[in-house]
Amino acid sequence: MKIRVGLSIAILMAFLISVPFFATDYWITLLILVLIFTVYASGWNLFSGLTGYTNFGLAWFIGVSGYVSSLLIADYNWLWLLAWPIGALFTGLVSIGVGYILLRIKGVYFAISMVALTEGTRELFGTEYLTPLTHGGKGVPFVAGIRLPTLYWSILLLAFITLILCYKIFSSKFGLRLIAIREDEQAAETLGIHTTKDKIIAFTLSAFFVGLAGSIHFTYQNYIDPTFAFNIQLTLTPIVMALFGGVGTVFGPVIGATLFTFIHEILWAELTLLYMAIFGAILMGLILFFPQGLLGWMKEKGILPRSRKL
Amino acid sequence: MEPILRIDDVVKKFGEVMALDHCSFDIEAGTITGLIGPNGAGKTTLFNLITGVLQPDQGHVYLGGEEITGKKPYEIARRGVGRTYQIIRIFPKMTLLENLMVVGKGKEKRMMERAMDLFRLVRLEEKRNDYASDLSFGQQKLLSLAQVLMPDPQLILLDEPAAGINPTLQNELMALIHRLNEDGKTFIIVEHDMNVIMNHCQNAIALNYGQKIAEGSCSVIQRDERLLEHYFGR
Repeated sequence: MKIRVGLSIAILMAFLISVPFFATDYWITLLILVLIFTVYASGWNLFSGLTGYTNFGLAWFIGVSGYVSSLLIADYNWLWLLAWPIGALFTGLVSIGVGYILLRIKGVYFAISMVALTEGTRELFGTEYLTPLTHGGKGVPFVAGIRLPTLYWSILLLAFITLILCYKIFSSKFGLRLIAIREDEQAAETLGIHTTKDKIIAFTLSAFFVGLAGSIHFTYQNYIDPTFAFNIQLTLTPIVMALFGGVGTVFGPVIGATLFTFIHEILWAELTLLYMAIFGAILMGLILFFPQGLLGWMKEKGILPRSRKL
Repeated sequence: MEPILRIDDVVKKFGEVMALDHCSFDIEAGTITGLIGPNGAGKTTLFNLITGVLQPDQGHVYLGGEEITGKKPYEIARRGVGRTYQIIRIFPKMTLLENLMVVGKGKEKRMMERAMDLFRLVRLEEKRNDYASDLSFGQQKLLSLAQVLMPDPQLILLDEPAAGINPTLQNELMALIHRLNEDGKTFIIVEHDMNVIMNHCQNAIALNYGQKIAEGSCSVIQRDERLLEHYFGR
């Protein structure tokens, strides 16, 4: 069984690595988006799916890291390979401070404060005060000099690492402590769990990986501006993907991101005018009938084992 | 010897309400003490102050001679204070085993052994891979006790451990508490059932309106006129 699973993963990886050798740019581009959103959704799930703290500020991670790396590339001629991790590291470091302050706010108030942080940062990045640094509202067009296949392999590697990390964390004691926080934070605390520390670590890890994907995202787009970088869509889409696949499961967000991106693409191409309506209907159906997501549903029905490793 | 717990002139107000009104007492190590009093007397508030869930407005709490006032709940827990809640607060979407492992400290293998010992103690070893939400009420109470014992606390606060469970299970639970007490654990038990207190505790402390109104061995407390008045409205 173990060998078979390992072999399947190896074959899938070999296939994904070889895609640029035979696929058209259209397909590579589509896969890049699937992989970027896989990291977004998995990164969101890593923190919010486990701790139950709904992060409505995912776009903040994406935007901050995206801005740092894009500006490094555009204004300081940094190599993308260096600019990306610096953007993500910066985002992770700032997130420690943000987490320290905001993670003591619970429930819906935390969600709102993250929205406020994102919106506030968006405004700030567009103001004249920061224009010398951020180029203000007119945005930053730039070329990183990276070829499409290299970009594809980069995001593939990142998605792979993110999933391995999620897999490790979800079946670790650290992961269990995060679930304990979701189940009953005060009880966890009186049982000796340093909940604040664990929350901040998970929040920072989430910020780093989502931020790294954000940096790649904007390099791929060759452009960044405040509205685009801190767009609420960048928060909502990954959350919906995670819900779709199964919140709190390791592979749910991957399945969600993949299916969602493809359905989106097909609907967009075939039924441009009706696409939003159909999409909304599918979403409502999912939330009504599969509130635990595809993977959660399969675990509940016994199609898959109820393991934290899935 | 230093008392394991010293409550020193503790005051806690909720707005105008005095939840605890200059309350002081000592708990000796190795005892079982009953904490009694009508609803709203301040018993649970006291537990919350000892475990750091709430901070007192005035006064001090000492654990084994060391001040713990103002410490965070997890710090106090790590110093050896365990606590159950009036409402069961286990982690329902975890298996029983995960419920224990998550609060254990140290090497995986030793933790596993300890968890298995505790499951045998509360007779839940067969169910260790079930989800905690699938347990009956009584079993959940036992699980929450096992969970509290997992980090090996020295002082254990139990908020109505016998409430809502059948007499057989109640007897088993109390027998378990006595066994742990013989191993040197100190217990403070909040309980409304006076029989439980009188039969199982060596000492009792009575609270009313946040004030300590009586303290002593159970046999003495039982004859306390003022206390009986509070309890039975004589």
